[in-house]
Amino acid sequence: MSLTPSQWAALLPLLLPSFGACLIVLMSLDKDQATAKWIRGAMYGTALLAVAGSFWYLTELWKTGAQPSFFQLRMDRLAQFTGVFLMVATALTILQSWDHFHQEGWVKGETLALLLFAVVGMQLFASTTHFVTLFLGLELFSLPLYALVGTVRARPESAEGGMKYFLTGAVASSCFLMGGVLIYGMSGTFDLAAAATSLKGHGLVLDPLVLVGAALMLLGFLFKVSAVPFHQWTPDAYEASPHPIAGFMSVATKGVAFIALLRVFAGSFAPLGAVGVKMQSVVAVLAIATLVLGNLTALVQSNVKRMLAYSSISHAGYLLLGFVAGTPAAYTGVLFYLVIYLAMNMGAFGLLTAFGLVGDQTTFEDLRGLGWKRPAMGFSAAVFMLSLAGIPPLGGFYGKYMIFRELVGTGHVGMAILGVLASLVSAYYYLRLLVALFLQAPSAEAERLASDRPAVHAPLAGATVLVCAVIVLAGGFLQSGLADGFAKRALIEGLGLIR
Amino acid sequence: MTWLNLHPLTFLVFAPTVLGFALMALPHKLGKLARLLGFLGALAIFVLSLAWLLGHSPAAGGTVLAERAPWFTLVGLPVDYALAVDGLNLWLVLLTTFLVPLTMLGTWNSLKDRMGTFAALFLLLETGMLGALVAQDLFVFYLFWEAMLIPMYFMIGVWGGDERRYAANKFFLYTLSGSLLWLVALLYLANKAGGFNPALMAQAASALPFGVQGWLFIAFAVAFAIKVPLFPLHTWLPDAHVQAPTAGSVILAGVLLKLGGYGFIRFAIPMFPQAAMHYAKPIALLSVIAIVYGALVAMVQRDIKKLVAYSSVSHMGFVMLGLASMTVIGTQGAMLQMLNHGISTGALFLLVGMLYDRAHTRMIADFGGVAVKMPIFTTFFMIVTLSSIGLPLTNGFVGEFWILNGTFLSGFSWGRLYAVLATSGVLLGAVYMLWMFMRVFWGPENKDEDSGTHHLHSDLNAREIAVMLPLVVLIVWMGVHPKTFVAASETPVAALLQEIKAPAPRTFVLKPAVHEAPAAPAESGAHLPEAPAAHEVH
Repeated sequence: MSLTPSQWAALLPLLLPSFGACLIVLMSLDKDQATAKWIRGAMYGTALLAVAGSFWYLTELWKTGAQPSFFQLRMDRLAQFTGVFLMVATALTILQSWDHFHQEGWVKGETLALLLFAVVGMQLFASTTHFVTLFLGLELFSLPLYALVGTVRARPESAEGGMKYFLTGAVASSCFLMGGVLIYGMSGTFDLAAAATSLKGHGLVLDPLVLVGAALMLLGFLFKVSAVPFHQWTPDAYEASPHPIAGFMSVATKGVAFIALLRVFAGSFAPLGAVGVKMQSVVAVLAIATLVLGNLTALVQSNVKRMLAYSSISHAGYLLLGFVAGTPAAYTGVLFYLVIYLAMNMGAFGLLTAFGLVGDQTTFEDLRGLGWKRPAMGFSAAVFMLSLAGIPPLGGFYGKYMIFRELVGTGHVGMAILGVLASLVSAYYYLRLLVALFLQAPSAEAERLASDRPAVHAPLAGATVLVCAVIVLAGGFLQSGLADGFAKRALIEGLGLIR
Repeated sequence: MTWLNLHPLTFLVFAPTVLGFALMALPHKLGKLARLLGFLGALAIFVLSLAWLLGHSPAAGGTVLAERAPWFTLVGLPVDYALAVDGLNLWLVLLTTFLVPLTMLGTWNSLKDRMGTFAALFLLLETGMLGALVAQDLFVFYLFWEAMLIPMYFMIGVWGGDERRYAANKFFLYTLSGSLLWLVALLYLANKAGGFNPALMAQAASALPFGVQGWLFIAFAVAFAIKVPLFPLHTWLPDAHVQAPTAGSVILAGVLLKLGGYGFIRFAIPMFPQAAMHYAKPIALLSVIAIVYGALVAMVQRDIKKLVAYSSVSHMGFVMLGLASMTVIGTQGAMLQMLNHGISTGALFLLVGMLYDRAHTRMIADFGGVAVKMPIFTTFFMIVTLSSIGLPLTNGFVGEFWILNGTFLSGFSWGRLYAVLATSGVLLGAVYMLWMFMRVFWGPENKDEDSGTHHLHSDLNAREIAVMLPLVVLIVWMGVHPKTFVAASETPVAALLQEIKAPAPRTFVLKPAVHEAPAAPAESGAHLPEAPAAHEVH
């Protein structure tokens, strides 16, 4: 079977990371990988090269405006957008993990290979509406992530978190599969867009099995975006994972799950109007629950990573509000929000690495006074936290602004009020981090311990943090360019949503 | 120079930010240099603002300088980058540019560390305040309004007193709570109006049912009232003031609180005239409560700074009472009182700061007989005290008199009673200020080893006198010839009130400014129609 250039073009963004991953696996066969720095360097270099190649190729595709496809894999604008999003997140993760794994003393090439395989799975997941391909993508990124959470085997709690994530994730995946099977059973096709049309044609839109099928699929998505009540894995998994991996999961998993949700429910299932409406009310209830629970639980965390985990849950709530509004402009807002969220969260988790916090010393206590010692990092932290809280003129504000504006515009004023109240609550726990960084002096004990330890050296993680801060600031001033030039075009040209 | 000629306001607003970020980038060791550069920069901005704002004769409608350009359109709502200085904000802008360098100079040695960062934050705050004052687009206003919180939060939280973290968080969250709900109202209205142009929004608001208008007005009013702060939304203020470093207190009292009152006169009242008339009485009642309650609580304070903080509640109550009176003289009084309060209370906080820097205590009981040790300081304190209690020939008298006059003439069913009750606030003001003055400055010298008086070794130095002199000059000038400071706002205020009170047909349909409108006149005309000024009194 020979492939046409267009098919190669669709495949290439996935092939590059896959090849990179295979190469890294081969390299990591070398027993000396823990001792020989050049092997580690080569592995990281390969991973970065693969990601950069894929990134470059995707941007070229975007510039030409081509939307190639390889059977069910559609490398359309939305998929290209997702790809760029993923590659940036991955590159940041790779850079941060170089520093973090050296701090932990646990540098293994397999980690990188798993990460790259997960990226391939995510790209696949967000680029198709064919159920089997979708499921393939889901599993291809979930399985490596289960392993990545437990990757630092030296820490027992790491394995525990990985196991928890795996067990709950497996249940969610099987629910997702069951949902797809039901839709397939009723429509006779795995192509979800065709299935929706066929169901509509046969008047089966409100058939209970279809509803159950759609609901189960929704569950699968909501698990991945960690919406309440499918969120319990999140804090444990984040706490267990290495910081960069936690950041990657919070950004990439949530991002692709939202984009796939957009593709399937707002795109393919559009003909199933009634199901859409029913799902929308479910989403509305869950969005409220997510906002309330996520924010209130985040208030009482003493561990920064757990706080960030609950914050990421609450952000799923804001993004779900975009689905409640359900207008193209709201989806534009969701995509814009995801981009800023990428920078805010990768930056926030990157800070932990840049400050050289390892293992479980990630409490607010451990951060005291660090903002003054590392002014650039402190400044970035302020940018991330204020942006997460949605304070203008930072990028996070505009994400919320777009979503709330569409909520108000579609008559959901009550939900918008709830949303702003949720951000008010969230401001408190984001400020807590700034309080620790700037407003509290480190305890004498901590000072003494710090003077014993060697100085933290994390240039790569520091650089990624600065890059993220720049993105967040840029999001605040180039908001309309980003939203119209990228997010909106991805939606209109990729998904065919007409404004 | 051409860019500067076209964008003088942009320069005024953003020059402090540029300088601020530059100072932040300076290494810690150069803190003293940063402080100096920050002061010189702020001073230059003050001089420029004086030259530009008083140098241009106002165009028809009172606009001195204006800039307008489309900025961006997001989710279908256009946002204009619209800035203007006109009769309503002219003097508040000058007050801001005046107080920032003055405060920097006045608190020169108050901070021991991180002076550079402090100066940088101060300049960022100046951008926020100036931006909010000159913004003519509600989205832009909202951005600056919120952005102001960030530097103030750090100023209180990092350099404040013992309870600084609590006070900073309370300040931040309290203010944020009001403005977030306001944001929803703003979005709702922008959605109806198709943009954030105040004129268009006012038009859209007038088409809404009265009940909805009422809710929108309340959302606006609560956000502004928190900033003022109006009773019962004032509880963040004493904490913030007491914990903030002197410079923070001065700017908080001097400018930040004014933005609340300014928000009413610029946006809330013109945009919802019917609702504003409807809710004027409850607001007046709350203002009277604030006046009396603030004064009574101030009377029993043992900390001088806290006393001044509560006196702010009382004084700002006067501002709100004047605005709620819906008369020209009352509103003009409120405009003047905002300036008065900025000068007098700013001066009081500076003086308290000077005392604290020497004695390291602010408790009234720790002092006594300060007049003997610091005669110059005492003189200045006396003048400012008299201004604060509204002695004739000082600024406080004129503002309060006009406000009380306006309230008396407001035509509320209880208006006269309100005026009488508010007058008791003036009286109480004299009581708490003079009683405090007596206990601190007069009497036998407190010889106790631990007392504050014991630690007072030096009177005001040249720098401190240089800071206080302009303030004293202004106090007298404003008391003797207030017209200088209220002439600009007379026409817009009169026009505004005439439009509000004019019975149907409602002519208060403001012309939306066309995007490509060439120059200032069209813009200013948009905001306040040039009706013949109908003076009721004065």
